[in-house]
Amino acid sequence: MAISEQEVRKVALLARLEVDEEEVRSLAHHFDSILEHFGKLNELDLDNIDPFVMDETQTPLREDRAEKWELREDALNEASHRDGDFFRVPRIVSEEG
Amino acid sequence: MSLLFTPVIGLEIHVQLATASKIFCSCSTDYIGAVPNTNVCPLCLGLPGTLPVLNAKAVEYGVRASLALNCTVRNATRFHRKNYFYPDLPKAYQISQYDLPLAEHGFINITSEDGTLRPIGITRLHLEEDAGKLVHGTSDGRLTGASQSFVDYNRGGVPLAEIVSEPDLRTPAEARQYVSVIRQLVRYLGVSDGDMEKGSLRVDANISVKCSDGRWGERAEIKNMNSLKALERALEYEIKRHIKMLSEGKIIIQETRHWNDSQGITISSRSKEEAHDYRYFPEPDLPPLVLPDGYVKEQLDKLPELPWDRKRRFKDTYGLSEQDSATLTENRDMADFYENCLISGGSPERTANWLRTEVLRVLNENKMELKDFPISSHIIAEMIVMMDNRKLSNTAAKEVFEHMIENSSDLHSAMSLCDISAGGIAGDQLRDLVSKILEQNNDVVRVIRSGEDLNGKKQKYLKGLVMRETRGQADPSEVSWILASLLENN
Amino acid sequence: MDFYRLSAHEICRKVKSGEITARETIESSLERINSLEKGLNALITRVDERALEKADRVDRMLSAGEDPGLLAGVPVVIKDNMCVQGIRTTCASRILGDWKPPFTATVVAELEKEGAIVLGKANMDEFAMGSSTEHSAFGPCSNPWDPDRVPGGSSGGSAASVAAGYAPISLGSDTGGSIRQPAAFCGTCGLKPTYGLVSRWGLVAFASSLDQIGPFARSIEDIALTLQVISKPDPRDSTCNPSKRPDYQSVLDQSSLKEKKVGIVKEFMDYDIDPEVREALEKTIEVARSEGAEIVELSLPVMVRYGLATYYIIAPAEASSNLARYDGVRYGISSEEEDLMDMYLKIRGDGFGEEVKRRILTGTYVLSSGYYDAYYLTAQKVRQIMTSEFKEAFSRVDTIIMPTAPTPAFRKGELLDDPIQMYMADVFTLPINMAGLPGLSLNAGYSRKGLPLGVQLIGPKWGEMQLLAAASVLERSFGPSLIAGGDQ
Ligand SMILES: [Mg+2]
Ligand SMILES: [Zn+2]
Repeated sequence: MAISEQEVRKVALLARLEVDEEEVRSLAHHFDSILEHFGKLNELDLDNIDPFVMDETQTPLREDRAEKWELREDALNEASHRDGDFFRVPRIVSEEG
Repeated sequence: MSLLFTPVIGLEIHVQLATASKIFCSCSTDYIGAVPNTNVCPLCLGLPGTLPVLNAKAVEYGVRASLALNCTVRNATRFHRKNYFYPDLPKAYQISQYDLPLAEHGFINITSEDGTLRPIGITRLHLEEDAGKLVHGTSDGRLTGASQSFVDYNRGGVPLAEIVSEPDLRTPAEARQYVSVIRQLVRYLGVSDGDMEKGSLRVDANISVKCSDGRWGERAEIKNMNSLKALERALEYEIKRHIKMLSEGKIIIQETRHWNDSQGITISSRSKEEAHDYRYFPEPDLPPLVLPDGYVKEQLDKLPELPWDRKRRFKDTYGLSEQDSATLTENRDMADFYENCLISGGSPERTANWLRTEVLRVLNENKMELKDFPISSHIIAEMIVMMDNRKLSNTAAKEVFEHMIENSSDLHSAMSLCDISAGGIAGDQLRDLVSKILEQNNDVVRVIRSGEDLNGKKQKYLKGLVMRETRGQADPSEVSWILASLLENN
Repeated sequence: MDFYRLSAHEICRKVKSGEITARETIESSLERINSLEKGLNALITRVDERALEKADRVDRMLSAGEDPGLLAGVPVVIKDNMCVQGIRTTCASRILGDWKPPFTATVVAELEKEGAIVLGKANMDEFAMGSSTEHSAFGPCSNPWDPDRVPGGSSGGSAASVAAGYAPISLGSDTGGSIRQPAAFCGTCGLKPTYGLVSRWGLVAFASSLDQIGPFARSIEDIALTLQVISKPDPRDSTCNPSKRPDYQSVLDQSSLKEKKVGIVKEFMDYDIDPEVREALEKTIEVARSEGAEIVELSLPVMVRYGLATYYIIAPAEASSNLARYDGVRYGISSEEEDLMDMYLKIRGDGFGEEVKRRILTGTYVLSSGYYDAYYLTAQKVRQIMTSEFKEAFSRVDTIIMPTAPTPAFRKGELLDDPIQMYMADVFTLPINMAGLPGLSLNAGYSRKGLPLGVQLIGPKWGEMQLLAAASVLERSFGPSLIAGGDQ
């Protein structure tokens, strides 16, 4: 199964990774060999296999009690673009999301 | 040959659940008016190394809402990650539910325009986390940067129940009614304050229009409707738009549109990027949610009487009118208040009247909630009982009531301050008073006795004088009765 | 004195008896680090001052008659993907910049509660993706036995630190072999516990359903001690088993392999592995037999043939999601881009190294619409088969012995241009993560070139007790791991 450089660019955009032309070429090459490897899985008969087991463990539940975290200043200070009480990002034009 | 168009509407409602803490961390959910980024912790800021732990109350509220929506609750369910990049989503994925939602296959009745009940299918109810809030450059002064937006994660992680309806709704009015029923329900259950203006209940609409010639327009998703009115207007606008397109033979494309309330139009929100690909997969940080044996039954037993059941019971048991039952069961506090009055001895009809007129008026005038109302159900009931026993007239009661509202005083000091005595003026005392009035108005009495008061106007005038003299403390029917008997005798 | 040569047990005992002070221990470690670190590059961040302060605190506690705990004065090195409040945590990536977490990983908090003293944060492959500790934004780490060779990875710095005598114990994380393979390459013991035994709170996630924290040490005794301390239930990790843990140290002296069944995997016996690794494996099997174990041949065909492909779908899929949060908004490196999309592309394009990008893209691809069923879902199904294959195997045997890695430590740069070949280095370890089982790598001697040779023991789920028992029996024959650095 071959993967085109166009597809690599598409996936890179979906993953928000800037890749240059050389990376695109080498990634396409890498994908080709790894997908060939993945193709082996089709040899197996998986018709009646449940992909996710539901009965092994179960999630614990936490009591609904609000607590204050005291270090928000430290957290805000880690931001490269702190603006007062806010984290600043480039202006978002479209209203989607 | 004119074409017929049928709108097909389905709604997705996001309801914020009224838990104290967020769905996966212990931060407070009380974000309205909070300083930005104060209700945050390493988890809801998406810091590396953090892990979610599910809030038991969010599950409880979700199950309760599901049961009230007649859904089948799944005993074993799981969470998925919905992956997309956006600054209000600190992990770049939303923990939500996907293939195994908490509940499915429910319905809720709305009342059609012709008065009949119509079931609207509920596809599913699932739990998920809310996103943070983006603030765009405003006139705030400080936030004026033209090229910047600002993120506040206080809301991020607040638990949401997403309720998805079947495309069963046909008109904007029905959609509005459906939302108000859901809103009433979640408030009754105490699982959400259901406030659309505050954003604790948010509605997205999917709408398409079917044409009688077999054509079917693509569906549009409409967002950003912040009130019932906005919902109705947006749907009306959108239906007209679809019909116009179909009539002109144009193709409707599937897209997301935003309602602009001030302009009264929907606007296509073109995304410049590629279409979303959420890459859902099971959240590996949370094992399946397995409800213990008996959990669902326990929640079912805990359900309060639902508004429509309560309305029917008010009609059947207390003999109230359709309108009164509806008004009194509109919210749970009022219905409880009403029934508490009855427990304290108030008669069903007079209590209903009193609450519907006086109490509701005061609440509306003062934009007050019942829980802040200064007079207890017990005192209201005491007044009603006095009225029932003809010891307090309606007029006197109103005076006392106003006094209590204004001065927050108790019933008895209010009565004495208004110079109104419990028991009022009745019997011999009233008879003497009427006699005195008759003596003072001999000329009128004569006219009546001579049979010239054909339409009873003069007798009414006398009654008014008596009532004024008693300052409302006499029972009007007793006054009429005494008046009549004194005028006849002699 | 060379206190750095002591085991955790010995340090704790001597510090508590007053024979040595915690400060002396730490000073000895720091000296050792000073003399070797330039060549090894095992640490990304050192915290000498903090360590000495903590040591003084332990000493003060002792003079006040208080008990500093099970690891009083014991130096430890922490892989740089575990958060320690106020100490830079990088995951060996550029993208996190100088991020200082405002909270501490549960495992580190537990160690410190018992008097252990953190010396620094260990070098690793970026975001734990790699098998050589060459994929580090802070430069490659060297193997203490041969500086031209890799220490293995991704917990290479943690393994090298223990092998070189920086500390008697260290913590690593293991997603597909990242503790066991470097333990084998550096000649130490390394344990990857059962998934859910050790809390992951504060561990920067690579692949959440596979990641597990575990200890490195030069003896099984120290492994058991460290495991005891770090393996408590933790309500902050929903995948962490809430039951009480057994006393792991209780099984070490009385253990033997009599009446035990030890499994060997038929398919791996004729796998393409280095002859000296094979010799070490055969020697281990012989020791087990002579200790009374019955050797049982097992067949695990699905795991052998499909393990690698399954892993390289599931791990990148989870990673692509776990690593999506690095956008430069709340922490890490910054960008001056004025467009949101440009900001994402720039931060992530510049911040992540090549191997991390490869895996994020692979993961994004296998989860994307149209490919999810063919790759991700299929891999999950195969994972279930592998899990049942192991379950069945453990109904027949108590422990499985197999190689840790196909070869001893390879040369730096040797596999850098061949990612697939690099992935093959984990072929024996990653199925264990897929099935959530405990695995331990033990040093079984040295090659003629003087390179350590590891063997791997696998236990059933929650089978740490029998795993440690078996390992301690073998260790009696092999002797404890040696300290590298030419002074044996
Ligand atoms: Mg949703
Ligand atoms: Zn939080």
